[in-house]
Amino acid sequence: MTTGIELKNLRKMYESHGHAAWAVDGVDMTIGAGKFVTLLGPSGCGKTTTLRMIAGLEIPTSGQILRDGMDITDQPVTDRDMRMVFQDFALFPNMTVEENVAFGLRVRRMKGSISESEIRKRVAQFLDLVHLADHGQKKPHQLSGGQKQRVSLARALVTDPKVVLFDEPLGSLDANLRKIMQIELIRLHRELGKTFIYVTHDQDEAMAMSDAIAVMSGGKVAQFGAPREIYDRPVNRYVASFIGHAHIVDAEVDGRESGELTLRLRNGERVALPHQNTTAGVGSPVGLMLRAEDLTFADQAPGAIGGRIADSLYRGEYIEYVVELHGGAGVVHVHSRTDTPLVRHGASVALKVNPAKAHVLVH
Amino acid sequence: MTSSAYVAGQGQAGARSARRLERRRLLFWLLPPVAWFTVFMLIPYGMLLYTSLGHVDDMRFIPGFSFDNFIRVFTVDPYLGVIIKSARIGVMTAILSAIVAYPLAFYIAFHVRSARAKFLLYLLVIVPWWASYLVKAYAWKTILGSGGILNATLQGIGLTDGPVRLFLYNEFSVVLTLTYIFTPFAVLSIYAQLERIPTSLIEAARNLGADGWTIFRRIILPISVPGMVAGAIITFSLAFGDFVAPVLVGGPDSVMISNVVINLLGVAFDWPMAAAIGVVIIALGLLLISASGWLEEKTQTRF
Repeated sequence: MTTGIELKNLRKMYESHGHAAWAVDGVDMTIGAGKFVTLLGPSGCGKTTTLRMIAGLEIPTSGQILRDGMDITDQPVTDRDMRMVFQDFALFPNMTVEENVAFGLRVRRMKGSISESEIRKRVAQFLDLVHLADHGQKKPHQLSGGQKQRVSLARALVTDPKVVLFDEPLGSLDANLRKIMQIELIRLHRELGKTFIYVTHDQDEAMAMSDAIAVMSGGKVAQFGAPREIYDRPVNRYVASFIGHAHIVDAEVDGRESGELTLRLRNGERVALPHQNTTAGVGSPVGLMLRAEDLTFADQAPGAIGGRIADSLYRGEYIEYVVELHGGAGVVHVHSRTDTPLVRHGASVALKVNPAKAHVLVH
Repeated sequence: MTSSAYVAGQGQAGARSARRLERRRLLFWLLPPVAWFTVFMLIPYGMLLYTSLGHVDDMRFIPGFSFDNFIRVFTVDPYLGVIIKSARIGVMTAILSAIVAYPLAFYIAFHVRSARAKFLLYLLVIVPWWASYLVKAYAWKTILGSGGILNATLQGIGLTDGPVRLFLYNEFSVVLTLTYIFTPFAVLSIYAQLERIPTSLIEAARNLGADGWTIFRRIILPISVPGMVAGAIITFSLAFGDFVAPVLVGGPDSVMISNVVINLLGVAFDWPMAAAIGVVIIALGLLLISASGWLEEKTQTRF
């Protein structure tokens, strides 16, 4: 049975200058075998510490790590058979690319499980897999950042681990290279069928690659789910604003009838939203999450929100309008197609909310 | 047409004066280093060479242009033999220092976590240098001597009946004293090299299943070779030119080349011969430094 990795109430305390802080404060998570799971959050949210505990590079203060149902919390790092790809690549500078990739295999050869000719074959095969077949004799310092990361990948994959851990592996690469490497990583995940656990602070990266994302904050998991679920139905304001630049407008529940929810904004305007499964009762304060791509300009129509164009930014693919809602009810952004006529700065507009995408935040 | 030519002409004039200014500024900034080099290097080396080419007649220096002194360095006893022996003592000191220094440098670099503790240990390595060199050499005399601590202890625990005279006044005691005195240099240069190794390298190796010994042999040791070479060069040079240890703890046969030079200068008044030995040693030193520079470059790991 393959159940993958389970984290049970995992905690890690750091002490410095006599002052203790929880870097990871009770993480529960099940990572299915063969999945691509991303730990996402700003720096200091505990994502890297969680990954390092899974790898065995940090010892948890309390809690458990299970692998296929077996407790591996106290298993030494050298025995875990999980390979890590580091942000700074961590290539051995005194060895050639080939020697780097072969390192993990040679370590095993000393235990007598693989022959030297088999090592050579596998190293060549994996250098080919990451498109570095011609660079085997080079030293790491002769490679570009992207190439170094590919070597690091090959070194991790060549030993055929079931789990591969990534600690912000694309963090030190430039934007274009990052996109290329993202596609590369998705390809490798699909082809090799291994469990990938990935740490990043880049939400685009997380959205594009993952089967599931754990959004972390203050050492805890704020939300764990598929990218689409997290994007469309964030559980709280923190997740909503961290993923996809949502704007949140304060509102109050004005009425609820047979699944339809009416919200009153601070300026008194009312917005009717069908299909909302919120527990919020009438009169309770909520946040209305409005994403730029879910708002459209409308004619003065019932149910539309009124506002004024504060700024417009030409983005190439679309025009981004900054709209101040009437009566200081909040600020939202609206994306508009570039083939539509430009709306004048200062003009009054009415905004229509895509009812299928609007989301009410209770917390 | 005319206006553009006018503008171009002006531009050239401006460039020329800027260049002149630049040249004047360059001269100003070059003067101090050139003067320093002349006063402290060129003139002393020139005097040394000049002296070595002359000879002494009736206690008076006669200038000349003769290589006799250099020929004597290589043919007349005991000069060449003493140079070789000094080099041997230097090599032994360098090797011993590296062996003693490595574990300490390793410990400070990898096992001391807090920056404060690191600094403290670093300080403890340097602290002996606050005491005079002579005091430290004398200390070894009292440790190794026939009435010294070592002999007293050995007799006390009944391992020996009388004082052992083998510890002092021989090459062994010279090498031991020099190793003690110069080891801090080896510690610092090895430590500096080990400090460059990022912890992620060690974590990556452990993650790939390597045990401590494999990590040391395959990663840490190869990367630290240039540090050992640099440390060995420093300790060798310092030991090679030493003249205090041979006098204090050395025996009649452990005269080193600096002692010979001192005798030539102060006792025999044969300054040209002393200068010739100096020139030979400097030439050997230059050779050694270029060779070690090459070796350091060759073994240096680029990150």
